[in-house]
Amino acid sequence: MALRRSVLAIIALGLALAPAAGFAQGSGESAAGFIQRMGQQLVSIIDGHGSTAEKQAALERIVDSDVDVSGIARFCLGRYWRVATPAQQQQYETLFRKVLMISIDGKLGDYQGVRFTVGRTVPRAEGQVVATTITAPNKPPTEIDWVVRNIDGSWKIVDVIAEGTSLRLTQRDDYDSFIAGHGQSVQALIDALRRQVSQNA
Amino acid sequence: MSRLFAGLVLMGVLALAGVLGGCASGSPGSDQAQAGAAGEGDPWEPFNRTMYKVNTELDRYTLRPAAEAYSRVVPDPVRTGIHNILTNLAYPVQLANDMLEGKPRRAGDTLVRFVVNSTVGVLGAVDVAQHLGYPDHSSDFGLTLALWGVSGSPYLFLPVLGPGNPRDSFGRIVDIAGDPFGYIGQGTGVVVARWTRLGVNLIDQRAQYLGVFSQIRRTALDPYATFRSLYRQHRSAEIESVRADHARTVPAWFPVSAEPSDHSSSN
Repeated sequence: MALRRSVLAIIALGLALAPAAGFAQGSGESAAGFIQRMGQQLVSIIDGHGSTAEKQAALERIVDSDVDVSGIARFCLGRYWRVATPAQQQQYETLFRKVLMISIDGKLGDYQGVRFTVGRTVPRAEGQVVATTITAPNKPPTEIDWVVRNIDGSWKIVDVIAEGTSLRLTQRDDYDSFIAGHGQSVQALIDALRRQVSQNA
Repeated sequence: MSRLFAGLVLMGVLALAGVLGGCASGSPGSDQAQAGAAGEGDPWEPFNRTMYKVNTELDRYTLRPAAEAYSRVVPDPVRTGIHNILTNLAYPVQLANDMLEGKPRRAGDTLVRFVVNSTVGVLGAVDVAQHLGYPDHSSDFGLTLALWGVSGSPYLFLPVLGPGNPRDSFGRIVDIAGDPFGYIGQGTGVVVARWTRLGVNLIDQRAQYLGVFSQIRRTALDPYATFRSLYRQHRSAEIESVRADHARTVPAWFPVSAEPSDHSSSN
Protein backbone atom coordinates (compact mmCIF):
# COMPACT_ATOMS: atom_id res chain seq x y z
CA MET A 1 0.00 0.00 0.00
CA ALA A 2 2.80 2.39 1.00
CA LEU A 3 4.79 1.34 -2.06
CA ARG A 4 1.78 1.87 -4.31
CA ARG A 5 1.21 5.28 -2.82
CA SER A 6 4.82 6.37 -3.34
CA VAL A 7 4.76 5.09 -6.93
CA LEU A 8 1.59 7.11 -7.51
CA ALA A 9 3.25 10.13 -5.94
CA ILE A 10 6.22 9.83 -8.29
CA ILE A 11 3.91 9.49 -11.30
CA ALA A 12 1.90 12.50 -10.16
CA LEU A 13 5.11 14.49 -9.66
CA GLY A 14 6.29 13.52 -13.12
CA LEU A 15 2.99 14.61 -14.63
CA ALA A 16 3.13 17.90 -12.77
CA LEU A 17 6.68 18.67 -13.87
CA ALA A 18 6.40 17.55 -17.49
CA PRO A 19 4.40 20.51 -18.82
CA ALA A 20 6.37 22.90 -16.61
CA ALA A 21 4.36 25.96 -15.56
CA GLY A 22 1.67 24.99 -18.02
CA PHE A 23 3.60 25.69 -21.20
CA ALA A 24 3.68 23.39 -24.19
CA GLN A 25 7.19 22.61 -25.34
CA GLY A 26 6.78 23.34 -29.02
CA SER A 27 4.80 26.55 -29.27
CA GLY A 28 5.53 28.12 -25.90
CA GLU A 29 1.83 28.86 -25.61
CA SER A 30 0.31 28.65 -22.14
CA ALA A 31 -2.65 26.40 -21.39
CA ALA A 32 -4.78 29.48 -20.73
CA GLY A 33 -3.60 31.03 -24.00
CA PHE A 34 -4.59 27.88 -25.85
CA ILE A 35 -8.10 27.94 -24.38
CA GLN A 36 -8.38 31.68 -25.05
CA ARG A 37 -7.44 31.13 -28.71
CA MET A 38 -9.80 28.19 -29.08
CA GLY A 39 -12.60 30.15 -27.42
CA GLN A 40 -12.13 33.04 -29.84
CA GLN A 41 -12.22 30.63 -32.77
CA LEU A 42 -15.42 29.06 -31.44
CA VAL A 43 -17.07 32.44 -30.93
CA SER A 44 -16.13 33.66 -34.40
CA ILE A 45 -17.56 30.49 -35.96
CA ILE A 46 -20.78 30.53 -33.94
CA ASP A 47 -21.44 34.24 -34.46
CA GLY A 48 -20.06 34.31 -38.00
CA HIS A 49 -21.92 34.30 -41.29
CA GLY A 50 -22.20 31.16 -43.36
CA SER A 51 -24.62 28.29 -43.43
CA THR A 52 -25.15 25.84 -40.60
CA ALA A 53 -23.33 23.17 -42.60
CA GLU A 54 -20.30 25.44 -43.05
CA LYS A 55 -20.30 26.26 -39.35
CA GLN A 56 -20.52 22.59 -38.43
CA ALA A 57 -17.59 21.78 -40.71
CA ALA A 58 -15.49 24.54 -39.14
CA LEU A 59 -16.45 23.33 -35.67
CA GLU A 60 -15.43 19.78 -36.52
CA ARG A 61 -12.02 20.99 -37.71
CA ILE A 62 -11.47 22.67 -34.33
CA VAL A 63 -12.52 19.53 -32.47
CA ASP A 64 -10.14 17.39 -34.52
CA SER A 65 -7.19 19.71 -33.99
CA ASP A 66 -7.77 20.77 -30.36
CA VAL A 67 -9.48 17.82 -28.68
CA ASP A 68 -7.84 14.49 -27.85
CA VAL A 69 -10.83 12.60 -29.24
CA SER A 70 -9.23 9.14 -29.34
CA GLY A 71 -7.84 9.54 -25.81
CA ILE A 72 -11.27 10.52 -24.51
CA ALA A 73 -12.86 7.63 -26.42
CA ARG A 74 -10.46 5.18 -24.77
CA PHE A 75 -11.13 6.67 -21.34
CA CYS A 76 -14.88 6.36 -21.82
CA LEU A 77 -14.70 2.67 -22.64
CA GLY A 78 -12.87 2.20 -19.33
CA ARG A 79 -12.21 -1.39 -18.32
CA TYR A 80 -13.85 -2.67 -21.50
CA TRP A 81 -11.16 -1.16 -23.74
CA ARG A 82 -8.86 -4.11 -23.07
CA VAL A 83 -11.69 -6.59 -23.57
CA ALA A 84 -12.53 -5.20 -27.01
CA THR A 85 -10.91 -6.70 -30.09
CA PRO A 86 -8.68 -4.38 -32.19
CA ALA A 87 -11.45 -4.23 -34.80
CA GLN A 88 -14.01 -3.30 -32.15
CA GLN A 89 -11.66 -0.66 -30.75
CA GLN A 90 -11.37 0.92 -34.16
CA GLN A 91 -15.12 0.80 -34.85
CA TYR A 92 -15.81 2.23 -31.44
CA GLU A 93 -13.36 5.11 -31.87
CA THR A 94 -14.85 6.07 -35.23
CA LEU A 95 -18.41 5.95 -33.86
CA PHE A 96 -17.41 7.82 -30.71
CA ARG A 97 -16.06 10.70 -32.80
CA LYS A 98 -19.26 10.83 -34.85
CA VAL A 99 -21.49 10.86 -31.76
CA LEU A 100 -19.35 13.60 -30.22
CA MET A 101 -19.64 15.71 -33.37
CA ILE A 102 -23.42 15.23 -33.49
CA SER A 103 -23.78 16.37 -29.89
CA ILE A 104 -21.57 19.43 -30.49
CA ASP A 105 -23.34 20.34 -33.74
CA GLY A 106 -26.69 20.09 -31.95
CA LYS A 107 -25.64 22.78 -29.49
CA LEU A 108 -24.62 25.26 -32.18
CA GLY A 109 -27.88 27.21 -31.97
CA ASP A 110 -27.83 27.43 -28.17
CA TYR A 111 -24.66 29.45 -28.07
CA GLN A 112 -25.41 32.38 -30.33
CA GLY A 113 -23.81 35.48 -28.84
CA VAL A 114 -21.69 33.47 -26.41
CA ARG A 115 -18.71 35.08 -24.63
CA PHE A 116 -15.63 33.44 -23.14
CA THR A 117 -13.72 34.73 -20.12
CA VAL A 118 -10.58 32.81 -19.23
CA GLY A 119 -9.68 32.61 -15.55
CA ARG A 120 -7.03 30.81 -13.54
CA THR A 121 -5.06 27.73 -14.51
CA VAL A 122 -4.53 25.07 -11.85
CA PRO A 123 -2.23 22.09 -12.41
CA ARG A 124 -3.79 18.79 -11.40
CA ALA A 125 -2.92 15.14 -11.87
CA GLU A 126 -5.20 14.83 -14.91
CA GLY A 127 -3.73 17.92 -16.61
CA GLN A 128 -3.78 21.70 -16.56
CA VAL A 129 -7.24 22.86 -15.58
CA VAL A 130 -8.21 26.18 -17.17
CA ALA A 131 -11.25 27.86 -15.62
CA THR A 132 -13.57 29.84 -17.90
CA THR A 133 -16.87 31.64 -17.51
CA ILE A 134 -19.24 31.31 -20.42
CA THR A 135 -21.99 33.85 -20.84
CA ALA A 136 -24.75 33.61 -23.39
CA PRO A 137 -27.61 36.09 -23.71
CA ASN A 138 -30.60 35.32 -21.44
CA LYS A 139 -28.72 32.56 -19.65
CA PRO A 140 -27.03 32.56 -16.28
CA PRO A 141 -23.21 32.48 -16.64
CA THR A 142 -21.78 28.95 -16.61
CA GLU A 143 -18.46 27.94 -15.08
CA ILE A 144 -16.63 25.55 -17.37
CA ASP A 145 -13.23 24.04 -16.61
CA TRP A 146 -11.13 22.73 -19.49
CA VAL A 147 -8.64 20.00 -18.71
CA VAL A 148 -5.79 20.24 -21.20
CA ARG A 149 -2.66 18.18 -21.64
CA ASN A 150 0.44 18.58 -23.68
CA ILE A 151 0.33 15.77 -26.21
CA ASP A 152 3.28 15.59 -28.62
CA GLY A 153 4.11 19.26 -28.16
CA SER A 154 0.67 20.78 -28.53
CA TRP A 155 -2.22 21.33 -26.19
CA LYS A 156 -5.23 19.05 -26.42
CA ILE A 157 -8.46 19.16 -24.47
CA VAL A 158 -8.87 15.89 -22.58
CA ASP A 159 -11.94 16.72 -20.49
CA VAL A 160 -14.55 19.41 -19.91
CA ILE A 161 -15.92 19.97 -16.40
CA ALA A 162 -19.24 21.77 -16.07
CA GLU A 163 -20.60 22.59 -12.60
CA GLY A 164 -18.30 20.02 -11.05
CA THR A 165 -19.27 17.24 -13.45
CA SER A 166 -16.68 15.73 -15.77
CA LEU A 167 -17.93 15.07 -19.26
CA ARG A 168 -15.76 12.02 -19.86
CA LEU A 169 -16.45 10.52 -16.44
CA THR A 170 -20.21 10.86 -16.97
CA GLN A 171 -19.88 9.31 -20.41
CA ARG A 172 -17.79 6.45 -19.04
CA ASP A 173 -20.37 5.74 -16.33
CA ASP A 174 -23.09 5.73 -18.99
CA TYR A 175 -21.23 3.29 -21.25
CA ASP A 176 -20.06 1.14 -18.35
CA SER A 177 -23.60 0.68 -17.06
CA PHE A 178 -24.95 0.04 -20.56
CA ILE A 179 -22.36 -2.66 -21.29
CA ALA A 180 -22.86 -4.24 -17.87
CA GLY A 181 -26.60 -4.35 -18.52
CA HIS A 182 -26.05 -6.03 -21.89
CA GLY A 183 -24.10 -9.09 -20.80
CA GLN A 184 -20.72 -7.30 -20.74
CA SER A 185 -20.87 -7.04 -24.51
CA VAL A 186 -18.80 -4.30 -26.14
CA GLN A 187 -20.54 -5.14 -29.40
CA ALA A 188 -23.86 -4.08 -27.83
CA LEU A 189 -22.38 -0.64 -27.18
CA ILE A 190 -21.01 -0.40 -30.72
CA ASP A 191 -24.44 -1.32 -32.12
CA ALA A 192 -26.14 1.26 -29.90
CA LEU A 193 -23.69 3.98 -30.99
CA ARG A 194 -24.27 3.04 -34.61
CA ARG A 195 -28.03 3.45 -34.07
CA GLN A 196 -27.42 6.87 -32.49
CA VAL A 197 -25.40 7.95 -35.51
CA SER A 198 -27.91 6.67 -38.04
CA GLN A 199 -30.80 8.35 -36.21
CA ASN A 200 -29.03 11.68 -36.50
CA ALA A 201 -27.71 11.26 -40.01
CA MET B 1 -52.18 18.37 -3.36
CA SER B 2 -52.92 16.18 -0.34
CA ARG B 3 -51.87 13.13 -2.32
CA LEU B 4 -48.57 14.81 -3.14
CA PHE B 5 -48.13 15.57 0.54
CA ALA B 6 -48.85 11.94 1.46
CA GLY B 7 -46.23 10.94 -1.11
CA LEU B 8 -43.69 13.29 0.40
CA VAL B 9 -44.35 11.92 3.88
CA LEU B 10 -43.97 8.36 2.62
CA MET B 11 -40.67 9.28 1.01
CA GLY B 12 -39.59 10.90 4.24
CA VAL B 13 -40.25 7.70 6.16
CA LEU B 14 -38.40 5.69 3.53
CA ALA B 15 -35.48 8.08 3.68
CA LEU B 16 -35.40 7.96 7.47
CA ALA B 17 -35.35 4.19 7.43
CA GLY B 18 -32.51 4.42 4.97
CA VAL B 19 -30.50 6.94 6.93
CA LEU B 20 -30.49 4.69 9.98
CA GLY B 21 -29.20 1.83 7.89
CA GLY B 22 -26.86 4.04 5.89
CA CYS B 23 -25.19 5.80 8.81
CA ALA B 24 -23.92 2.61 10.33
CA SER B 25 -21.90 1.61 7.29
CA GLY B 26 -20.94 5.12 6.23
CA SER B 27 -17.44 6.51 6.22
CA PRO B 28 -16.54 10.16 5.66
CA GLY B 29 -15.23 11.34 2.34
CA SER B 30 -16.43 8.36 0.38
CA ASP B 31 -18.43 10.51 -2.09
CA GLN B 32 -15.36 11.28 -4.12
CA ALA B 33 -14.30 7.68 -4.48
CA GLN B 34 -17.73 6.55 -5.55
CA ALA B 35 -17.97 9.15 -8.28
CA GLY B 36 -15.42 7.08 -10.15
CA ALA B 37 -17.10 3.77 -10.74
CA ALA B 38 -20.61 3.40 -12.06
CA GLY B 39 -22.74 0.88 -10.26
CA GLU B 40 -20.66 0.95 -7.10
CA GLY B 41 -22.40 2.20 -3.99
CA ASP B 42 -25.79 1.49 -5.52
CA PRO B 43 -26.92 -1.69 -3.73
CA TRP B 44 -30.57 -0.62 -4.14
CA GLU B 45 -30.23 -0.38 -7.92
CA PRO B 46 -33.27 -2.57 -8.75
CA PHE B 47 -35.50 -0.49 -6.44
CA ASN B 48 -33.93 2.75 -7.69
CA ARG B 49 -34.45 1.83 -11.33
CA THR B 50 -38.13 1.11 -10.65
CA MET B 51 -38.50 4.46 -8.89
CA TYR B 52 -36.67 6.09 -11.80
CA LYS B 53 -39.25 4.65 -14.21
CA VAL B 54 -42.13 5.74 -11.96
CA ASN B 55 -40.66 9.21 -11.79
CA THR B 56 -40.17 9.43 -15.55
CA GLU B 57 -43.83 8.57 -16.13
CA LEU B 58 -45.00 10.88 -13.37
CA ASP B 59 -42.85 13.64 -14.78
CA ARG B 60 -44.15 13.15 -18.31
CA TYR B 61 -47.76 13.78 -17.29
CA THR B 62 -47.38 16.26 -14.43
CA LEU B 63 -44.27 18.29 -13.74
CA ARG B 64 -42.82 18.47 -17.23
CA PRO B 65 -45.94 19.78 -18.98
CA ALA B 66 -46.46 22.21 -16.09
CA ALA B 67 -42.87 23.43 -16.33
CA GLU B 68 -43.10 23.69 -20.12
CA ALA B 69 -46.31 25.71 -19.93
CA TYR B 70 -44.75 27.89 -17.24
CA SER B 71 -41.70 28.58 -19.42
CA ARG B 72 -43.90 29.30 -22.45
CA VAL B 73 -46.44 31.57 -20.79
CA VAL B 74 -44.41 33.47 -18.21
CA PRO B 75 -41.79 35.84 -19.67
CA ASP B 76 -38.11 35.31 -18.85
CA PRO B 77 -37.59 38.29 -16.49
CA VAL B 78 -40.71 37.41 -14.48
CA ARG B 79 -39.53 33.81 -14.12
CA THR B 80 -36.13 35.04 -12.93
CA GLY B 81 -37.89 37.27 -10.39
CA ILE B 82 -40.02 34.39 -9.12
CA HIS B 83 -36.96 32.15 -8.94
CA ASN B 84 -35.13 34.81 -6.92
CA ILE B 85 -38.05 35.24 -4.51
CA LEU B 86 -38.18 31.48 -3.90
CA THR B 87 -34.42 31.35 -3.38
CA ASN B 88 -34.63 34.27 -0.97
CA LEU B 89 -37.34 32.55 1.08
CA ALA B 90 -34.94 29.65 1.65
CA TYR B 91 -32.19 31.84 3.15
CA PRO B 92 -33.11 31.48 6.85
CA VAL B 93 -32.58 27.73 6.48
CA GLN B 94 -29.44 28.29 4.44
CA LEU B 95 -28.08 30.67 7.09
CA ALA B 96 -28.59 28.03 9.79
CA ASN B 97 -26.76 25.47 7.66
CA ASP B 98 -23.86 27.85 6.93
CA MET B 99 -23.44 28.26 10.66
CA LEU B 100 -23.73 24.53 11.35
CA GLU B 101 -21.08 23.97 8.71
CA GLY B 102 -18.80 26.35 10.61
CA LYS B 103 -18.45 28.78 7.73
CA PRO B 104 -18.93 32.30 9.16
CA ARG B 105 -18.15 34.10 5.90
CA ARG B 106 -20.74 32.11 4.01
CA ALA B 107 -23.24 32.71 6.82
CA GLY B 108 -22.50 36.44 6.55
CA ASP B 109 -23.03 36.35 2.78
CA THR B 110 -26.38 34.63 3.24
CA LEU B 111 -27.49 37.07 5.95
CA VAL B 112 -26.56 40.11 3.86
CA ARG B 113 -28.24 38.58 0.80
CA PHE B 114 -31.44 37.97 2.77
CA VAL B 115 -31.56 41.44 4.31
CA VAL B 116 -30.57 43.38 1.17
CA ASN B 117 -32.61 41.38 -1.33
CA SER B 118 -35.71 41.27 0.91
CA THR B 119 -35.70 45.06 1.20
CA VAL B 120 -33.89 46.85 -1.64
CA GLY B 121 -34.47 43.83 -3.86
CA VAL B 122 -38.26 44.00 -3.45
CA LEU B 123 -39.05 40.83 -1.45
CA GLY B 124 -36.13 39.06 -3.09
CA ALA B 125 -37.21 39.51 -6.71
CA VAL B 126 -34.04 41.40 -7.67
CA ASP B 127 -30.65 40.00 -6.70
CA VAL B 128 -29.08 43.29 -5.59
CA ALA B 129 -26.61 41.64 -3.23
CA GLN B 130 -24.92 39.79 -6.09
CA HIS B 131 -23.77 43.14 -7.53
CA LEU B 132 -22.59 44.28 -4.10
CA GLY B 133 -20.18 41.37 -3.90
CA TYR B 134 -22.24 38.86 -1.94
CA PRO B 135 -22.57 35.89 -4.28
CA ASP B 136 -25.02 33.05 -3.78
CA HIS B 137 -23.87 29.59 -2.78
CA SER B 138 -25.59 26.34 -1.99
CA SER B 139 -26.10 25.09 1.51
CA ASP B 140 -28.51 22.54 2.91
CA PHE B 141 -28.63 20.08 5.78
CA GLY B 142 -27.45 17.26 3.52
CA LEU B 143 -24.28 19.27 2.84
CA THR B 144 -23.93 20.00 6.54
CA LEU B 145 -24.19 16.30 7.37
CA ALA B 146 -21.62 15.54 4.66
CA LEU B 147 -19.18 17.97 6.29
CA TRP B 148 -19.86 16.26 9.59
CA GLY B 149 -18.71 13.01 8.02
CA VAL B 150 -21.99 11.31 7.11
CA SER B 151 -21.58 9.18 4.01
CA GLY B 152 -23.41 9.89 0.77
CA SER B 153 -24.16 6.28 0.06
CA PRO B 154 -26.05 4.24 -0.78
CA TYR B 155 -27.57 5.96 -3.76
CA LEU B 156 -31.32 6.44 -3.55
CA PHE B 157 -33.65 7.58 -6.30
CA LEU B 158 -37.11 8.74 -5.26
CA PRO B 159 -40.03 10.02 -7.35
CA VAL B 160 -40.38 13.84 -7.34
CA LEU B 161 -37.26 14.23 -5.16
CA GLY B 162 -35.09 12.66 -7.84
CA PRO B 163 -31.53 11.40 -7.34
CA GLY B 164 -30.12 11.45 -3.83
CA ASN B 165 -29.19 9.32 -0.89
CA PRO B 166 -30.56 8.78 2.61
CA ARG B 167 -28.34 11.54 3.98
CA ASP B 168 -29.60 14.16 1.53
CA SER B 169 -33.24 13.05 1.76
CA PHE B 170 -33.05 13.24 5.54
CA GLY B 171 -31.37 16.64 5.17
CA ARG B 172 -34.24 17.82 3.03
CA ILE B 173 -36.79 16.83 5.65
CA VAL B 174 -34.82 18.70 8.31
CA ASP B 175 -34.61 21.75 6.03
CA ILE B 176 -38.39 21.69 5.48
CA ALA B 177 -39.13 21.09 9.16
CA GLY B 178 -36.75 23.84 10.21
CA ASP B 179 -38.08 26.48 7.82
CA PRO B 180 -39.47 29.39 9.89
CA PHE B 181 -41.83 30.32 7.05
CA GLY B 182 -43.56 27.01 7.73
CA TYR B 183 -44.58 28.28 11.16
CA ILE B 184 -45.11 32.03 10.84
CA GLY B 185 -48.72 33.20 10.54
CA GLN B 186 -51.99 31.34 10.41
CA GLY B 187 -55.30 31.29 8.57
CA THR B 188 -56.40 30.19 5.13
CA GLY B 189 -54.30 32.82 3.34
CA VAL B 190 -51.08 31.55 4.90
CA VAL B 191 -51.93 27.92 4.16
CA VAL B 192 -52.66 28.78 0.54
CA ALA B 193 -49.42 30.75 0.32
CA ARG B 194 -47.44 27.82 1.72
CA TRP B 195 -48.88 25.32 -0.77
CA THR B 196 -48.45 27.82 -3.59
CA ARG B 197 -44.81 28.21 -2.67
CA LEU B 198 -44.29 24.44 -2.69
CA GLY B 199 -46.03 24.04 -6.05
CA VAL B 200 -44.27 26.96 -7.73
CA ASN B 201 -40.98 25.76 -6.29
CA LEU B 202 -41.41 22.33 -7.89
CA ILE B 203 -42.30 23.87 -11.25
CA ASP B 204 -39.49 26.44 -11.05
CA GLN B 205 -36.92 23.77 -10.22
CA ARG B 206 -38.17 21.55 -13.04
CA ALA B 207 -38.16 24.46 -15.51
CA GLN B 208 -34.47 25.10 -14.74
CA TYR B 209 -33.62 21.69 -16.13
CA LEU B 210 -36.04 21.31 -19.04
CA GLY B 211 -33.40 21.39 -21.76
CA VAL B 212 -30.76 19.42 -19.88
CA PHE B 213 -33.05 16.57 -18.83
CA SER B 214 -34.60 16.05 -22.23
CA GLN B 215 -31.14 16.07 -23.81
CA ILE B 216 -29.85 13.45 -21.39
CA ARG B 217 -32.92 11.26 -21.92
CA ARG B 218 -32.38 11.55 -25.66
CA THR B 219 -28.62 11.01 -25.87
CA ALA B 220 -27.64 8.80 -22.94
CA LEU B 221 -27.56 5.06 -23.54
CA ASP B 222 -28.44 4.44 -19.89
CA PRO B 223 -30.11 7.65 -18.63
CA TYR B 224 -30.49 6.20 -15.13
CA ALA B 225 -26.71 5.67 -14.84
CA THR B 226 -26.01 9.08 -16.39
CA PHE B 227 -28.23 10.90 -13.89
CA ARG B 228 -26.63 8.91 -11.09
CA SER B 229 -23.15 9.85 -12.24
CA LEU B 230 -24.05 13.52 -12.70
CA TYR B 231 -25.72 13.73 -9.31
CA ARG B 232 -22.80 12.17 -7.46
CA GLN B 233 -20.18 14.28 -9.18
CA HIS B 234 -22.14 17.48 -8.72
CA ARG B 235 -22.80 16.73 -5.07
CA SER B 236 -19.22 15.85 -4.24
CA ALA B 237 -18.05 19.02 -6.03
CA GLU B 238 -20.50 21.03 -3.90
CA ILE B 239 -19.24 19.37 -0.72
CA GLU B 240 -15.62 19.98 -1.69
CA SER B 241 -16.28 23.62 -2.48
CA VAL B 242 -17.82 24.19 0.96
CA ARG B 243 -15.00 22.29 2.64
CA ALA B 244 -12.37 24.29 0.77
CA ASP B 245 -14.03 27.66 1.40
CA HIS B 246 -11.86 29.39 3.97
CA ALA B 247 -12.77 32.91 2.91
CA ARG B 248 -11.92 35.62 5.44
CA THR B 249 -14.71 36.74 7.71
CA VAL B 250 -13.79 40.38 7.18
CA PRO B 251 -15.09 41.51 3.79
CA ALA B 252 -12.72 43.06 1.27
CA TRP B 253 -14.10 46.60 1.68
CA PHE B 254 -13.57 46.68 5.45
CA PRO B 255 -10.65 49.00 6.31
CA VAL B 256 -8.07 46.85 8.03
CA SER B 257 -5.29 48.93 9.60
CA ALA B 258 -1.79 47.71 8.91
CA GLU B 259 -0.53 48.63 12.38
CA PRO B 260 -1.75 46.83 15.48
CA SER B 261 -3.89 49.08 17.68
CA ASP B 262 -2.25 50.31 20.90
CA HIS B 263 -5.19 51.13 23.14
CA SER B 264 -3.63 49.49 26.14
CA SER B 265 -0.32 51.41 25.96
CA SER B 266 -2.01 54.81 25.82
CA ASN B 267 -3.29 54.46 29.37
